[in-house]
Amino acid sequence: MAADLEELKGMIEAALPGARAEVIDETGTGDHLRAEVSAPQFEGKSRLDQHRLVKAAVRERFEDGTIHALTIKILD
Amino acid sequence: MADQELTDRVRELIAENDVLLFMKGTPSAPRCGFSMRTVQVLDQMGVEYGAIDVLPALQPLREVTSEISDWETFPQLYVNGELIGGCDIVEEMFENGELAEVLGVEQPARAEPAQAEAPASDEPYKSPPMQIEGS
Repeated sequence: MAADLEELKGMIEAALPGARAEVIDETGTGDHLRAEVSAPQFEGKSRLDQHRLVKAAVRERFEDGTIHALTIKILD
Repeated sequence: MADQELTDRVRELIAENDVLLFMKGTPSAPRCGFSMRTVQVLDQMGVEYGAIDVLPALQPLREVTSEISDWETFPQLYVNGELIGGCDIVEEMFENGELAEVLGVEQPARAEPAQAEAPASDEPYKSPPMQIEGS
């Protein structure tokens, strides 16, 4: 099942109020995605924690197998 | 709850190997594009590293790394006992020179993002692939 990019964008922005997220399908297969995210919650956090926040927002879609891989790019 | 014996084994491996990569497949035969890209970065750094193929025990290892490092996806690179990150973070740190700093090596002259070219050579990689069997 291909991921719903808009839904994922919404999940990230809902979990991190004030965030701006773009989710793109890197391979055209719908399961290897790239998220570019900026969020006020990232401030002062380590890169690992920034990634953890984004992953936590879409955890459900990892667990149900919709997403195989999510490359995360944190935007300042 | 992660298996205690496996958790202890993983902690040992992280402590014993200055540079340790948990990956899908082996450095000479990666089974995932992200693992392959991470191997390509490490090979360009010219460091010796240990590699663990997570595929034989994927789910138990996910539970273990989730508990140890709050990180569930592979590849995972550890340097001096600390989680560095997955492919995206490793590539980003490679490009901006932070990875060379963490590894204590010179930044390679041609710092190009690793692309899906030839499979990684097994040259700088010295330790035999380690396997953890599912319990």
